[in-house]
Amino acid sequence: MASSSSARGELEKMGIDQLKALKEQADLEVNLLQDSLNNIRTANARLESAAGALNDLSLRPQGKKMLVPLTASLYVPGTLDEADKVLVDIGTGYFIEKTMEDGKDYCQRKINLLKSNYEQLFEVLAKKKSVADEAGMVLQSKVRQLQAATTS
Amino acid sequence: MSSSSPSGSGGDLSERRGIPAAKFIQDVETYLSQSSLDSNSALAFHQESEVFCPVILLFRLQQYKVVEMKLLAQQRDLQVYFSPPLCRLVPFCDEASLVAKIPDIEKCLEVVGTLEARKGTGEALLADFEVSEGIYSRACIEDTDSVCLWLGANVMLEYSCEEATALLKNNLENAKASLEVLVADLQFLRDQVTVTQVTIARIYNYDVQQRRVKQVAPTAITAADS
Repeated sequence: MASSSSARGELEKMGIDQLKALKEQADLEVNLLQDSLNNIRTANARLESAAGALNDLSLRPQGKKMLVPLTASLYVPGTLDEADKVLVDIGTGYFIEKTMEDGKDYCQRKINLLKSNYEQLFEVLAKKKSVADEAGMVLQSKVRQLQAATTS
Repeated sequence: MSSSSPSGSGGDLSERRGIPAAKFIQDVETYLSQSSLDSNSALAFHQESEVFCPVILLFRLQQYKVVEMKLLAQQRDLQVYFSPPLCRLVPFCDEASLVAKIPDIEKCLEVVGTLEARKGTGEALLADFEVSEGIYSRACIEDTDSVCLWLGANVMLEYSCEEATALLKNNLENAKASLEVLVADLQFLRDQVTVTQVTIARIYNYDVQQRRVKQVAPTAITAADS
């Protein structure tokens, strides 16, 4: 762990004010990264439910009677049309018509992409967190030293 | 405590829907002397203004803040449109959808209007409906006179178009009325918060004045002695 000890040496050299500023900045970054991680997690959950819904939809035959939701609380009786085609929302107001298979594949690919992003971000977060913790510890020891020096 | 009429456009209300009104203090000195004699309202040290002011004022301020949060949340609930939750392709929804809010009710009214307008023609309507967030599928809606409305609490009722329109209009009016009441409540609350903050500020100024007087008095006495 040569890198961490050299970083520690650098932290020791810095003054208390600098250390405080560094710790605050590191904490801020940790919070930001945590928020991004949470967002990725929610997006992932949404995509997984979308994939599940698609699987469910593929089981229904064409022409099956169903209640069509026209708004959040309004349903109209109707029949399922074109059971093989779905519209997927790819963002920025664009929708693409795909077959059932392609739709499922799209969802799966998106889920995988988000998972890899999540893991990368998690690593960065862990590193930043360790820097913040170290800075905090060094700051505390310095403050204690200063207090001991002033009281004695 | 002498009660003077509360200031602000709220009128002479001692409280409004559970929110206590803040009394406008005419004279800080009498108010403070009264409250120090009254054992119930103990003086507390207010961190920000560093002055002893009656605990009841600080408590009131906190209460107001809590009520304000609650009202703001309710207002957001009524006005912001939430996207519909996912529904499986079964006749009855598993999850409770949100109680209809103002934009949602307006949309429903529009849709029912369109359906009614189409009724005579007898042509089928192709609609893309949301299967899940980001996934839409097509359905064919034939001419039908009935619509189903989700009333919440796992209850869905089938209505004819006219009945549905009437029900939706009623819901919309109720929602709009409660929104108005909510907005008025928030305004009243804002007034009371201002009055309370002004009172705390005046107590602080009075305190500063007292300290200055005390500082001048000893020096005046020493000057008189020497």
